[in-house]
Formats: sequence, C-alpha cells, structure tokens
Amino acid sequence: MDTSNPAVFVNAELLQFYVGRRVRAVMQVVRSEGGVVIGKSTDEKQLVVKGPPPPAPLTNFVEVIGIVDNDRSIRAEIWTNFGNVIDMFSYNKLCQLANGEFKHLFV
Amino acid sequence: MFSGSQFDATTAFSGGGFMASQSTNLNDSSPSAAKSRETQGLIPVTVKQISEASHSGDEKSNFVINGIDVNNVTLVGMMFEKAERTTDVNFVLDDGTGRIKCRRWVNEAFDTKEMEEVQDGMYVRVYGHLKSFQGVKQLVVFSVRPVTNFDEISFHFIDCIHNHLHTKVKAEGITPANPSSGSSLITPVKNASNGSQEPSSNPGYAQYSVDGLKDCDKLVMDYLQQHSDMSDERGIHVNELSRELKLPMDKIMLSLKTLGDDGLVYSTIDDYHYKQA
Repeated sequence: MDTSNPAVFVNAELLQFYVGRRVRAVMQVVRSEGGVVIGKSTDEKQLVVKGPPPPAPLTNFVEVIGIVDNDRSIRAEIWTNFGNVIDMFSYNKLCQLANGEFKHLFV
Repeated sequence: MFSGSQFDATTAFSGGGFMASQSTNLNDSSPSAAKSRETQGLIPVTVKQISEASHSGDEKSNFVINGIDVNNVTLVGMMFEKAERTTDVNFVLDDGTGRIKCRRWVNEAFDTKEMEEVQDGMYVRVYGHLKSFQGVKQLVVFSVRPVTNFDEISFHFIDCIHNHLHTKVKAEGITPANPSSGSSLITPVKNASNGSQEPSSNPGYAQYSVDGLKDCDKLVMDYLQQHSDMSDERGIHVNELSRELKLPMDKIMLSLKTLGDDGLVYSTIDDYHYKQA
C-alpha cells in the first residue's frame, strides 16, 4: 500500500497549483505535431503536452498522466486513450471536487 | 414496531454474500439494500481511503472507513505488475490516489479467462475484500473487469465522494439529540453537533433507532421536542418541519402519521399542526 505518488485530478485552471507534481488530466485532442500534442482541457482551455510520443493512434479524448511543467503544459508519462465520447463536464466537476472539499479522499 | 410493509433487506439479500447477517435492524425506508446501518455491502473507495482505514474489533478482521465496517469494496484504477502464477494472479492497482496490492485466486477456467483479458497499463474495475497481511493492507479480488467506457472513471470517484458524504450525513443524522447553541439540529452537509465521530468505540452508536423509530420519525420527534417550549398551543406547522429538516412533505406526513398512531404526537388546530404528546 503506497500513497506516496498520487496523480491529482486537474483541469487547466488547477494546473498552476501543481507545477512540478504528478497529475492526471483528460483532454480533447486538437492536433498533434512533432513531439507535442495540443489539446482542449475539460474546462475549455488549451493544454500542451510534451514527452515521449503517445502510442498511435490517439482517440478523440485522451488521459495524460505526468508532471506539470507550467500552468499550461504537462510532461506526459502515461497516455491512455479514452475513446471518442466522454462526459467532459462530469470530469471537470470531479476535478473541482477532488481538489476542493474532498481533497482528503484523494491526496 | 416494524410495520409489515417495510422492506426487509436481511431476508431478501441474505444469500447475496455481500450483507453481514449480524444486522437485524434493517427497517430502513429506502429500498436500497446496500446501505445497511452497521455493515455496508459494497462501497466504492479510493486507495487513499483504504490507507486511512482502521481496524474494527479484534475478532473480526474488518476495517472501518468513515465509521462504517467495510467488508467489500470496489475500485477503479490502472493495473500494474501483473504476475500470473498457477493458483493466483497478483497485481498492483494504481487509482491515482495510491497503489494497493491485489490478489485474485484462480480456481476455475472462468477466473483464468477473466484475468487474461486484463493487462498492465489497462484501466480496470475491481471488486474485492480488504485484508491485512503482515501489517500491509491488501485486496483479495473476486472480480476484475477492463474499463471500456471511460466515464466509469469519473463515475467511480464521484461515487466515492457521494458514498463518503452519505455515510457522514447518516452518522451525523443519527447522533442523539444534541442541541448546540440553538442552531438547527440536523444540517444535511455541515456538522453542527458532534465534532469527531468515534463510532467504532461505541457499539451502540450504529443503532440509529433507539426505540424502534425510523430515522425520519426520530428527526421529526426531535424537532418537536426541541421546539415544544417555544411554540404555543398550536404546535408546529408541517411546512416548518419540512423546511427545517429539509425533508420532502410526504415523508414528514408519513412520519407524523406513524408517530400519531404510536401516540407520540397529536394534531392541534388542524391537520397541519402537530405537537409532541
């Protein structure tokens, strides 16, 4: 049992609080160029994800687990394809709850 | 005591294997059987919640989360370090809040087949039983399923939050009448009375109905009791009860009828005003 390396649920707005820490975020892939994937976060802001190239092909929605570089970009460690349909609103709400009132259940 | 129309969850679900047979006071008006008072059937949790769980009594090797005995849990996370052996499959589940060792015993072809479908790096939903082995909490898993619709991940964590709130509200709702500085006794979300709940040290705590009343009835009784000196002979209007206790009107009226049948309350000037007997 090891809770030393959690990955916090974040949207773009919360990234700034976790610079240098491990997070997880779901985003809609906008475009992928070179070693960088540009996406739209669950709260409609742009996210830039760098790091080792994702296992092609990427579905419309992906989850990125990695370390936060700055308040708009993440350095990916793990990519997970989340398919072509997902409820961004619920995920966004979850991010807000998991970082707010119920943070003690998560980190 | 228990009216005949009550849903008796003990007999209905005793064969399910999820309900502890110890609890006999299951006269909950809600038909949802998973929400028993003393031992919940199956609760969604995060690894972080498990890591903070404490042991309940000595004989039972049960854990306590949120003051509720926990038997079976469900988690959603990513599988790592899958190690297949002849009789079992071990793996680590990482749900983003922590990692926990899991073991799935493999007895039949079905079990092997189920485990073949999940690989490292996949999101899975597990159902299992919490166990402590050499001081380390582990999960004995009896079902592993790959996640195909990823809304399940959001759902699971929201479910954890919901369940946490639900048990917290229940825990506070059944605390014996304890008025504190005149503030409303029952507040759905924030705790107005007791600060820290220590139900594991008080075996009578989980008995939400002290004298056979349903919890809604008790809320109404407590409110009438609390306000009996402040109200005049007209008693309390049902609208006030509904508003202050934040319960729907039909529940209030049902409770008042039950209490009236038992002779604990009576209506005063009309059918909408009640007083404690």
